[in-house]
Amino acid sequence: MNWHVVVDNMPILAKGALLTLELTAGAVAIGVVIGLFMALARLSKHKVVRAGAIAYIDFFRGTPLLVQIFLVYFGIPMLLKWQTMPDNYQYTAGILAMGLNSGAYIAEIFRAGIQSIDRGQSEAARSLGMTQAQALRYVILPQAFKRTIPPLGNEFIALLKDSSLLSIIAIQELFYTGKIIVGRTYQPLPMYMAVALYYLVMTQLIAQWVAYMERRLGKNDLR
Amino acid sequence: MIFVKNLHKSFGKLEVLKGIDCHVHEKEVVVVIGPSGSGKSTFLRCLNKLEEPTSGEIIVDGIPLNSEVNVNAIRREVGMVFQRFNLFPHMTAIQNIVLAPEVVRKTNKEEARKIGLELLAKVGLYDKADEYPDRLSGGQQQRVAIARALAMKPKIMLFDETTSALDPEMVGEVLAVMKDLAREGMTMVVVTHEMGFAREVGDRVIFMDEGIIMEEGEPNEVFANPKNPRTKVFLSKIL
Repeated sequence: MNWHVVVDNMPILAKGALLTLELTAGAVAIGVVIGLFMALARLSKHKVVRAGAIAYIDFFRGTPLLVQIFLVYFGIPMLLKWQTMPDNYQYTAGILAMGLNSGAYIAEIFRAGIQSIDRGQSEAARSLGMTQAQALRYVILPQAFKRTIPPLGNEFIALLKDSSLLSIIAIQELFYTGKIIVGRTYQPLPMYMAVALYYLVMTQLIAQWVAYMERRLGKNDLR
Repeated sequence: MIFVKNLHKSFGKLEVLKGIDCHVHEKEVVVVIGPSGSGKSTFLRCLNKLEEPTSGEIIVDGIPLNSEVNVNAIRREVGMVFQRFNLFPHMTAIQNIVLAPEVVRKTNKEEARKIGLELLAKVGLYDKADEYPDRLSGGQQQRVAIARALAMKPKIMLFDETTSALDPEMVGEVLAVMKDLAREGMTMVVVTHEMGFAREVGDRVIFMDEGIIMEEGEPNEVFANPKNPRTKVFLSKIL
């Protein structure tokens, strides 16, 4: 086994890892926004809005991310009748597909968080004359958000690992980079171990950050 | 101040309120008593529409409770204190109090804080302004909750079994605050099991059972000579 291969390729792998982080961060940002929106829609009084949110969540949770990546990557150009794909379109498509997918999971996480807040809280807020939106913003969501941090951490970790699927549309993230190097060097074991190690370090970082957030918010005012 | 006509409320098939007619005058303290499940809390919660009445008419301070706009308008004028305090746990006592004035009434921050501290002083908790609710005893939390409701300068206050979740030694401090309010001329509807409070502070007692008003009248009269046999049975059990 040739461990030099790993050492020699550390910087290239690091570049792939950085892209993995960036893709994940972009997807998280989209996912959180969609998730919040869908969670609120899912809890709406209006049947149609609720049904829309349920359909969204069911679709993106119930079909493989890999299929969704292809749907976005090939589907959008077809729908918009593009003749050629713009440069770097795969990044946009990749982040979007992961964000859409993650939005469905995060919606459920937020919904559970919101529903876990005692009904008395919103009753107290409403009885003071706050609108539903004000009650959500000042009373319900700040409390709900703290409770969603551990499951959100899980979701971010899962998302980071799933970003390896983006290699299928030729995004040179960590796994793709590893695969290329293996193709060149014929050293799959050390290379994929190095790739796994990179993933492990990144997921550990997220886990530590989540634990830190939990402690910090818990100390001040999670009561 | 409050006008209720033929109020009905059902939860599914269960009819909880079966036609309530009631009139609360300005500066009147009405005490609602009755056994558990008699509908007294539901009745109270209909008055600021935390429960949606099945049918009937409610007019509060001249505004009928028939639209979302009116409901928010009325809730600004009607304070409510709950059995389980429902303080916002992520905010300190003073933050709990200033939130609604700032957000709903658009009172500026200094003004809201000034009013909030005055109210905390009034309920005897000036030095607890920056404590979080979980650092306060039940009685203290409930007094903060009263201050929070008062910060909106309501015309009417609703009390929903505000002392039922308290340890016995803390009941007195909360009732004392409520008595002060009554003395200042606040219009109050109080659902309670504290018969001493009803007798001492109430202008009128309403006895509810099985979703209707069985008897009402002056506290001393109702307690001394209950006319309805159910009132008699209820009072004999708790007095």
